[in-house]
Amino acid sequence: MGKSKFLLATIIRKIYLSFLVIISIGPLIWIIMSSFKSNKEILSSAFALPESFSFKGYTAALELSPIFQFYGNSLIVAIASTLINVIVISMAAYILARCEFRGKTFLTLLLSSSLLVPTSALLMPIYIIMTNIGLYDTKTGLILVYAALGLPTSLFVIKSYFQSIPMELEEAAYLDGAGFVRTYYAIIFPLAKSGLVTAAILQFLTSWNEFTFALILTKSTTARTLPLALSYFTSQFSFNYTSMFAALTMAILPSIVIYALLQEQVTDSMVAGSIKG
Amino acid sequence: MRVKKRYMVFFLLPCILLFALVYLLPIIIVLFTSFYEWKAGGIFQFIGLDNYIKAILEDTRMHTALKNTGIWALLQSVIHVGIGTTTALLLSRRRKGWKLLRTVYMIPNVISASALGVIFLNVFNPKYGLVNSFISLVTGEKFAKNWYFDQNSAFFTVTLSWLLYAGLVTILVLAGLASISEDVLEAAKIDGASTLQIDLFIRLPLTRTVIGTSVIIAATSMLREFELIYLTTNGGPGITTLNLPLYLYKTSLMDNNYGYANMMGVVLIILGVIAVFAINKIFRMNEADY
Repeated sequence: MGKSKFLLATIIRKIYLSFLVIISIGPLIWIIMSSFKSNKEILSSAFALPESFSFKGYTAALELSPIFQFYGNSLIVAIASTLINVIVISMAAYILARCEFRGKTFLTLLLSSSLLVPTSALLMPIYIIMTNIGLYDTKTGLILVYAALGLPTSLFVIKSYFQSIPMELEEAAYLDGAGFVRTYYAIIFPLAKSGLVTAAILQFLTSWNEFTFALILTKSTTARTLPLALSYFTSQFSFNYTSMFAALTMAILPSIVIYALLQEQVTDSMVAGSIKG
Repeated sequence: MRVKKRYMVFFLLPCILLFALVYLLPIIIVLFTSFYEWKAGGIFQFIGLDNYIKAILEDTRMHTALKNTGIWALLQSVIHVGIGTTTALLLSRRRKGWKLLRTVYMIPNVISASALGVIFLNVFNPKYGLVNSFISLVTGEKFAKNWYFDQNSAFFTVTLSWLLYAGLVTILVLAGLASISEDVLEAAKIDGASTLQIDLFIRLPLTRTVIGTSVIIAATSMLREFELIYLTTNGGPGITTLNLPLYLYKTSLMDNNYGYANMMGVVLIILGVIAVFAINKIFRMNEADY
């Protein structure tokens, strides 16, 4: 390859990759920067640095909206649905990975078929069911729905992990006189830890970020989660841009911090959860 | 392994209940009531295929929603996956800073889509938005296009909120590329293949199933896409950016026209199944390479 051609390829590559970086974090940096500016500064120049770092927007946003309550709700819903999802699905995955029984193929197919269903198709019946069993506008309702929505992914991730654990360990435990339940919780559960963590990270992120079902299944501030709070902000602060940017910053920062801390695990989980065969 | 029956039942039951509550029962309701006229106020009457016939023959909103959903799924399958794959090939050379770039490019996929929606609404704001400010700065003239609410730019602007953010595709293809055996690449190099040839004729075909998976994820995500439209244009102006999930939401929860909404649910499920099987076939996902 000629030298000039090589140089051209390098330049194109660098421009392309820089463009991706700019569109990925440019808007975020702008949002965070603007949250420290005054309304007037925001309107006069998008690129200028804030004249002084003022936290007025943040205090106003906290006064105007119960953002801490939304945080709390999101945290409760995400943690509870993750726990339920991982515990309930790992139990089923264990039986499907280890036991033979009539109808097993059918059950496995049935459970995995949920992978093919676009969840948006089920908006209306889920709304009706939740209303009828008295779980409309409750955190419990959201927790159950989220735990179930992550079923296909978790089942796949956890089941394949169980299948990679050699059976000898369980057989040895049985010979030593341990019962089924005990063997599961004392031997298998700890051994499958990294598979369970993979499923848990995915489930947590999905629940933390979910918007559509939160929108249709809740209406009061006692049950509404953080992603929903964002849609309030656009109308509530329509002329107080600083507060809106502050609220937006508070909403996106936890995800970014968690991602920065657990980067490798999050990346690995997303790869494992996506390759479902 | 021999396990007592009651243990099996005890271990399987919670999962089956969860599945029944949120998948099985709703799917049955959707299928069943899509043949009914079912509205608020106790109207519930069997009407056969009327909902489907109305959707095909009369409902222009339905036509637009279907068309938009289809175009977006196609764009996402081709351009979005193309960008993600190209980026993965570039990063797989592991030049300095590739890991940081991968991390940064993933950020929009990690924060919630609803936050992204509100961010884009601001970025494209006609008065103080980032895009217009940038154009004004470069051209030196005041630029005041209302990206989201102008008939001519709304569809394009909405598309931009997901089309370029292919971080997930990039990490998937990167993982696929990393699993190609060094021997194969070594052999190609010895035979005198150029880097571009190796990329196009060896590495890409060998990551075929991963790219197929990415296309499935990309296409089916468009059958689910809701918040990035709901929070920005809400389908407007008019019905320019209406898609199937948003129309379903409006029909069921705004107009309380449940039977008709569930007909759309059936259409979405059928489209999902067709998409998955077609893409599986195109990418020959069930065949091995070696």
